[in-house]
Amino acid sequence: MSSTAMKKKVLLMGKSGSGKTSMRSIIFANYIARDTRRLGATIDVEHSHVRFLGNLVLNLWDCGGQDTFMENYFTSQRDNIFRNVEVLIYVFDVESRELEKDMHYYQSCLEAILQNSPDAKVFCLVHKMDLVQEDQRDLIFKEREEDLRRLSRPLACTCFRTSIWDETLYKAWSSIVYQLIPNVQQLETNLRNFAQIIEADEVLLFERATFLVISHYQCKEQRDAHRFEKISNIIKQFKLSCSKLAASFQSMEVRNSNFAAFIDVFTSNTYVMVIMSDPSIPSAATLINIRNARKHFEKLERLDGPKHSLTMRMR
Amino acid sequence: MEEDNKPLLDSVRRGSYTDKGSTDSLDRGARRPFHVEHRNIVENDPSERVSAEASVLSSRVHYYSRLTAASDRLLSPPDHVIPCPEELYVYSPLGMAFKVTGGDGGAKNPSIITIFAIWNTMMGTSILSIPWGIKQAGFTLGIILLISMGLLTLYCCLRVLKSPKSIPYIDTSDWEFPDVCKYYFGKFGQWSSLLFSMVSLIGAMVVYWVLMSNFLFNTGKFIYNYAHNVSMSDTEFGTNGSERVICPFPDTGDHKGNCSSGISGLYLNNNNYYYYGNDTSDTAVFDRWWSKTNTIPFYLIILLLPLLNFRSASFFARFTFLGTISVVYLIILVTLKAIRLGFHLEFHWLESTQFYVPEFRLLFPQLTGVLTLAFFIHNCIITLMKSNKHQENNVRDLSVAYLLVGLTYLYVGVLIFAAFPSPPLSKDCIEPNFLDNFPSSDVLVFVARTCLLFQMTTVYPLLGYLVRVQMMSQVFGKHYPSFFHVFTLNIFIVGTGVCMAKYYPNIGSIIRYSGATCGLALVFVFPSLVHMISQKRRGELSWPSAIFHSLLIVLGVANVAGQFFM
Repeated sequence: MSSTAMKKKVLLMGKSGSGKTSMRSIIFANYIARDTRRLGATIDVEHSHVRFLGNLVLNLWDCGGQDTFMENYFTSQRDNIFRNVEVLIYVFDVESRELEKDMHYYQSCLEAILQNSPDAKVFCLVHKMDLVQEDQRDLIFKEREEDLRRLSRPLACTCFRTSIWDETLYKAWSSIVYQLIPNVQQLETNLRNFAQIIEADEVLLFERATFLVISHYQCKEQRDAHRFEKISNIIKQFKLSCSKLAASFQSMEVRNSNFAAFIDVFTSNTYVMVIMSDPSIPSAATLINIRNARKHFEKLERLDGPKHSLTMRMR
Repeated sequence: MEEDNKPLLDSVRRGSYTDKGSTDSLDRGARRPFHVEHRNIVENDPSERVSAEASVLSSRVHYYSRLTAASDRLLSPPDHVIPCPEELYVYSPLGMAFKVTGGDGGAKNPSIITIFAIWNTMMGTSILSIPWGIKQAGFTLGIILLISMGLLTLYCCLRVLKSPKSIPYIDTSDWEFPDVCKYYFGKFGQWSSLLFSMVSLIGAMVVYWVLMSNFLFNTGKFIYNYAHNVSMSDTEFGTNGSERVICPFPDTGDHKGNCSSGISGLYLNNNNYYYYGNDTSDTAVFDRWWSKTNTIPFYLIILLLPLLNFRSASFFARFTFLGTISVVYLIILVTLKAIRLGFHLEFHWLESTQFYVPEFRLLFPQLTGVLTLAFFIHNCIITLMKSNKHQENNVRDLSVAYLLVGLTYLYVGVLIFAAFPSPPLSKDCIEPNFLDNFPSSDVLVFVARTCLLFQMTTVYPLLGYLVRVQMMSQVFGKHYPSFFHVFTLNIFIVGTGVCMAKYYPNIGSIIRYSGATCGLALVFVFPSLVHMISQKRRGELSWPSAIFHSLLIVLGVANVAGQFFM
């Protein structure tokens, strides 16, 4: 990764109060200070300064003019905001009473994207779905999805329905990250080979900053369908505790008579978790295997590297 | 490596609870981590005891709680997300777990308790003014109006109760009626419903001050007269005999505090007791320092103003049983008086005679005003019925409660009116506070006054707390911004009470004005409007419904207008 590569942005936009700050806090394990829950709108962009997927920086914007000051600021800073955007994630509040207005603001964002970063990927999240009655959720989401697909042409948008109170948020962001990893299919094949070689029960690949599961391999059916999110939550809590001591989390080994689990840094963008159900294999062996695999996977990532920075310089 | 694997709970495990079957499921030889997932703790049952959703929600709640400050509710799970009680387990770190049996959430009460709570809350001091109200409207018209107002307010109360349910997409489980008004009418709805709620509360507090001055005065008078063996029967106009009923304002129709008489030599002091000349005897001195309108309202300040400044009112909430006892005692008192006095009823339909009032009078709006406040519970009915165990019976339970309240009012009103001894006294003498028609030497009534005085002293700070909480949180954002703010508010409320007690202690008027005003918004206009708008949004608004509810709004406005013109 060349250091002259310009930082690309992930824009997280949506109306004030649609849940962006909470979402960012949950996905990136950011502590929300009390006063962040402000009564007014976000006047300036909120950087998260998290190295997300290598060179991406997360920007939060309130979209949906509260007053003329906000509108003017937004229009004058428009080019600045929408340049170098890799991903636009637009959050819709499902219980919003001003659908027309929401769509209008979404469309202006899309126009700006078309002008400034036409290759950006667009994702729409229909958020706070837990407030809708269960039997109506699919219907409402389908309606919104159709409207959004129609409005987004010629850009293609991917829609998800999310809520911080079920697994949909985690799955949506995992899908987003999956689509952003440059060579993800190759990673998956290699991951399967790796797992079979070291005789692991399950191998997970996490994104480094958010611990969203990018890819996984399992050799037999596992009981708990929600284990990815749970592991992600546990590790993020641990990271929060570590950061309180100004330490940073690097690796972890958990072992008992039934299994051994290893979580370690893998490539520059990822963490790996290896689960071995044969307790007779010593930890050192697995750790050596992971170390060797790391070198191989890094080479895989670097294969795409120069190509990536070349296209950026050409823009 | 071996030390790492030593179990933390090893020594405890071999302790006393090896004989309990609950921990047998654990493999004795296995090393257990300290955190035990609440799966196979209770039995050796391979089936899932906890659903996957509940388990992952627990993980989420754990994690989210690390992201905000403890007091910040931004990432607290809302009620509709938490699993039902059957899926909640409580487990101790020692490995035992038990299921939460049934929901505690909100203390579900059986219907009878809910009905009683509503009856208890609605029974206020307006019961003292019902006989006067019936007298103002005429006996027959009064009874008809009581029943109709009861039915009308019951219907509006049902509308209020059902209003949060018809709001789509939003979790309204902890909404009260002002929140519903805010949803439909925005800031205007929120502020106006708050304002009218305040009118009813402050009106009630002013009435309480006037009544407390009255009861304290009479209690002191009774004790003084008993101690000094003074008899008041010569100076008060009333019946003779053992069951004395007096008419405090025989000639004039007005009930203001100061009244003058033109009889030379006789001076009517502020307590309406005739005395001769410049009487400087002990009685006159006592009367000067113990005066219903001049001094006692100020004595009460010393007692009650400190109580109003308490930060929390939970201490006073324990005394709500006093209210029930007082009402029951009043009913017994009224029955006894009626038995002893007998019935005195004559039916003159439209003309008034010396002793009787017509059956139909033009002053009937005064009764409707009093009844609006008497049947008022609309600002807290949603909260009260939330703890009803069988929510599907809400309509039935509310109707039964209104029926009981109506019957109580009817009983007291009719009996006092009918038993009022009309041949010597005119029915027009019935006071807005019917206890005023009994002399301060009456023992039974003395007990009633003392009970009510005590009860009001405990309810007054509660009302003050409600006013303070609602006003302060709307205007300043917190319940107790500073002592200065709260003190200023209390001074204002107490000042209003004292002024009314001194210059216009007619509780009938205070009740009817405040009742009609707050009833306008919270009983008639807002519930009808909210119902019509929600029906319209669902496309269900029909002409009969629109006409009926518009009629209700017109009635509410007419109610208020009637107070000023009649």
